[in-house]
Amino acid sequence: MNFIKRGFLGITRKKGKSLILLAVILILGSLISGAISIQQATSNVEKSVKERLGAAATLELDWEEYDKLSEEEMMNVELENIGVDLIKQIGGLSYVKYYDYSVSTMLGSESLEAYRGEMEEDFIHEGPSMDFTLKGINYAPVLDFEEQKGKLVDGRVFTQEEVDNGTSVAVISKKLAEKNNLNVGDTFTFVNVVYTYDEETGEEDIAASRDVVLEVIGLFESQFIKEDAETASDGGMMDWMDMDYQNTVYVPNEIVLNENKYQFEEYMKTDEEYAEMMEGEEEASFEYYTPMFVLNSPEDSEAFEEEVLPLLPDYYTVVSATDQYDSIAGPMESMSKLSKYVLIAAVIATVLITGLVVLLFLRDRKRELGIYLSLGESRGRVVGQILIEVMVVAFIGITLSLFSGNFIASQVSDTMMKADNNTSNEDVYYYSELQINLTTDDVMDSYEVSLNSSYILVFYGIGLLTILISTVIPLVYIVRLNPKKILM
Amino acid sequence: MILEAKDLNYYYQDGEQRRYILKDTSVSFEKGKFYTILGQSGSGKTTLLSLLSALDSPHSGEVLFNQEDIKKIGYEKYRRNNIGIIFQNYNLIPTFTAVENVLIPMSITENELPEDSKTVAYNLLDYIGIVKNKADRPVNKLSGGEQQRVAIARALATNVELILADEPTGNLDEEMEQEIIDIFKKLAHEHGKCVIVVTHSNEIALQSDQAFLLKKGVLASYE
Ligand SMILES: Nc1ncnc2c1ncn2[C@@H]1O[C@H](COP(=O)(O)OP(=O)(O)O)[C@@H](O)[C@H]1O
Ligand SMILES: [Mg+2]
Repeated sequence: MNFIKRGFLGITRKKGKSLILLAVILILGSLISGAISIQQATSNVEKSVKERLGAAATLELDWEEYDKLSEEEMMNVELENIGVDLIKQIGGLSYVKYYDYSVSTMLGSESLEAYRGEMEEDFIHEGPSMDFTLKGINYAPVLDFEEQKGKLVDGRVFTQEEVDNGTSVAVISKKLAEKNNLNVGDTFTFVNVVYTYDEETGEEDIAASRDVVLEVIGLFESQFIKEDAETASDGGMMDWMDMDYQNTVYVPNEIVLNENKYQFEEYMKTDEEYAEMMEGEEEASFEYYTPMFVLNSPEDSEAFEEEVLPLLPDYYTVVSATDQYDSIAGPMESMSKLSKYVLIAAVIATVLITGLVVLLFLRDRKRELGIYLSLGESRGRVVGQILIEVMVVAFIGITLSLFSGNFIASQVSDTMMKADNNTSNEDVYYYSELQINLTTDDVMDSYEVSLNSSYILVFYGIGLLTILISTVIPLVYIVRLNPKKILM
Repeated sequence: MILEAKDLNYYYQDGEQRRYILKDTSVSFEKGKFYTILGQSGSGKTTLLSLLSALDSPHSGEVLFNQEDIKKIGYEKYRRNNIGIIFQNYNLIPTFTAVENVLIPMSITENELPEDSKTVAYNLLDYIGIVKNKADRPVNKLSGGEQQRVAIARALATNVELILADEPTGNLDEEMEQEIIDIFKKLAHEHGKCVIVVTHSNEIALQSDQAFLLKKGVLASYE
């Protein structure tokens, strides 16, 4: 009949009391574990969604701010360009893994046929239209490839020399190359056509044109279509996106700048009014670079924004890929909030109620403790016996509530997500400058209530510790008295 | 001399004043004798017994067990290995059976005991008058007299020589009282134990080998 055996006998002999204690721990434990499960699931979603959104950020005009201006103010506002120097300065921040700035233009070609995917027939071929996007780059390894938007499958990327000198080289999509029988090392030709436009007749005329000859140095394949191929429901949209990308041609920024300049200069020759208006404008005004910064981690977004905002000219802002998260994560956020309140309430209730239950439990046992002490049992073992009784029951209760709480959490989440999802705008697609597409459904899909080992450990740890403390404190309070006082 | 109390003082602080329950109380006990300590209710009998059994400590003075200060032995150790205590209200553990209650101190003590403690416990209960089928009952399903027998068996289970009992028959009827007193006599006279019984009953005092009277904090021989 040592104290360990007495402890276990205490549980089985007093089934009623053990069951009450078990029930209390189970109910409160379920609440806590349910709330923690939801909390954890939501924070996992935040992480995984932000991970998917990536760590890209760009600088854009802050339309919201700009729209607040009165018409008069708008007239007077001088919108500064984001210069290369500023981009380089921001690119040098410690949060930035790598960065690029890009200028783009659309060009047509007489010899090159655009890739049309499966929608070939829908197009009427009619002379050279501006089917191709020339995307200038400054970052030689190509940011889009590093960010898995595309993947180099043949040839090579640019060298820094080619970028700096504006060498006439290009990386094109493999599909475009196949369609036009182009290989690495071949050359192809765009035409840069300057049109005049008669406002009265609405007729267009060719004012000037020149050829742009580029050498293929590499072929890429689009990456993002593959991921989403299975979810064919949005196939139409995706095909368009993909087609656009297949007809994108990567070239050094300098190439694009030269063509833009040609357009501008030739156009000025045809339109005197316009030429006058533009008189005195610096050359640099062609350089509307779109910067793109890739941060070390999505979690850096906020800090990055904070640091960059003061550097920007008026009416510019930082747009991060993770910004989208806030607009899609609505239903989840509300659940996370609710579960936080439940958690706080449940923890307080648990400490109070288990404390009370254990106290009542012990008040009944006070005499018993005195008897053991009067028989010469050591204080440690008397405490140990009661702890065995309470902690074994607590352990069972916590184990059960881990599962029941998890079950409750997934039930609650399911109903709440569904209810919330129906009221929110359905299947809105979010496309931005950053070209990442995510739907509310994607967020829901990555929401998963599950048990992971660190959570289990923490839950056991906190649960057992709470009960241990609420047991030991009154126990020690009793046992430190001499046996006569306890037995009185 | 198995047990000796020397100049025990015990008081309650009553505002500024000390109200002495025991004042310079000295007394000694021998093995093989049945002692009673007589006194009116509230005279301090329980206080004295709790000092002798190390359930409480005196404000001054000492208690010697076999010439050794029990403080030096250690109160816990002294209770565990050297004495058996019997209370007026039995103080058994209600969730356990009679035999389990007897087994408890056997698992606590450091005294050498026979291997088969269960048999010893049953035999002890049987000797005190609790038969096997009652020994396996939870103690709260036993009568008062039976419960006090279990408590006596528990006090004897660790094979001690000193038994201290605080009004052990206070809750029992006269017939039962006599049976219990007979057990105490037998323990002292046949088994050589020192039995000290606190009581307010003259009848019991008359049957003891030596009786003391506790009055106004002073302990005196009672003839
Ligand atoms: N906690 C206490 N505070 C003050 N006086 C007390 C306390 N406990 C007991 N007493 C007093 O001590 C005296 C002795 O008590 P006790 O030893 O129990 O007497 P007995 O056992 O002879 O009836 C009593 O008069 C009682 O009122
Ligand atoms: Mg008393």
